[in-house]
Amino acid sequence: MTQSSNETWTVTIVVPEDSSLDEAGETYDLEVGADETILAAARSAGVWLPADCQQGWCTTCAARLVDGDVAHPNARRYYDEDDEAGYVLPCTAKPRTDTTVVVDQYDDFLEFRAANDRPPGNSKLDS
Amino acid sequence: MSDEKEHGSGSVAPGDTSKRVGAEVIRERGVDPEELREKLIDAIGAEFTTYYYYTNLRMHLAGEEDYKEITEDARLEDRAHFELVVPRIYELEGSLPNDIRDFADRASCPDAEVPTPMDDSGGFDTSDLAVEDILEVLLEAERCAIRTWSEICDMTRGADPRTYDMAQRILNEEMDHEAWFIELLSKERDDEINPAGHFARGEPGDAPYSTNNRFNDSA
Ligand code: FES
Ligand SMILES: [Fe+2]
Ligand SMILES: [Fe+2]
Repeated sequence: MTQSSNETWTVTIVVPEDSSLDEAGETYDLEVGADETILAAARSAGVWLPADCQQGWCTTCAARLVDGDVAHPNARRYYDEDDEAGYVLPCTAKPRTDTTVVVDQYDDFLEFRAANDRPPGNSKLDS
Repeated sequence: MSDEKEHGSGSVAPGDTSKRVGAEVIRERGVDPEELREKLIDAIGAEFTTYYYYTNLRMHLAGEEDYKEITEDARLEDRAHFELVVPRIYELEGSLPNDIRDFADRASCPDAEVPTPMDDSGGFDTSDLAVEDILEVLLEAERCAIRTWSEICDMTRGADPRTYDMAQRILNEEMDHEAWFIELLSKERDDEINPAGHFARGEPGDAPYSTNNRFNDSA
């Protein structure tokens, strides 16, 4: 079980201009509880970010952390090098401070995983 | 009246077998059939891996015949889900990965391993294995499947009725499965009555919505 906390942080979600999402070019500020995932907070605020497994496995939700800090206590497939390169998985990422993420980074993240010989990188890109 | 509605799929020349109108009608409606097909491969990768992993999870529910039976229903229905969608991938000009490791790596849901540490020889250390932990793995696997098939319903709604029909049949069963494991885990872990509202399938892995015998005999 995750620890409980009343803390909330401001998470800024940046949807890139060139994103295929309807929200392309928009920026949203959300209050996200320390026990809440960024994806769940965004979806319940009406910001429909991409996702699939919601277990930190498939990487559909991949985003780039440009400021702040998150934790992924329940992610099923998240590697140290992801963390070092500033990639996060909003479906399982919980804010630890005020944070800014750039969403819709799935394609770039697949390339990154492939370059590091981590799944699902090559299994997706070779097909 | 014939000039009232132009069909983009009319761009497939008569007799041209290099293109499929079955794919072009989807593209016309705003969905990329190649992207959809790749997502379907990921989704049935997860059906296939859970079919495998549920075999082992079921084995380790030793002495819990009722839990084993329900897990067997969910296991066989995952195989039915895999079988149901395989032909669709080929219709959309895709194929299964030649290497099963690629198939497992790209599966859209996590490996559902027996929740116990491996010993040095790769065997299971079952000394601390608890029934409730196995039920939790099963429950979370079903939840992932619900999310995946809901995403595929979203992707195909109004654009690809054939894939949508498959996805919603599978989704029906995944929701059954989640309800089963909520009932069992609630009782086992919390001694709480939390009814699924269902009885066991008529026969193991009945797949009342998704079995492809009743739906697609040629597959
Ligand atoms: S939705 Fe699968 S990793 Fe986030
Ligand atoms: Fe399934
Ligand atoms: Fe299932």
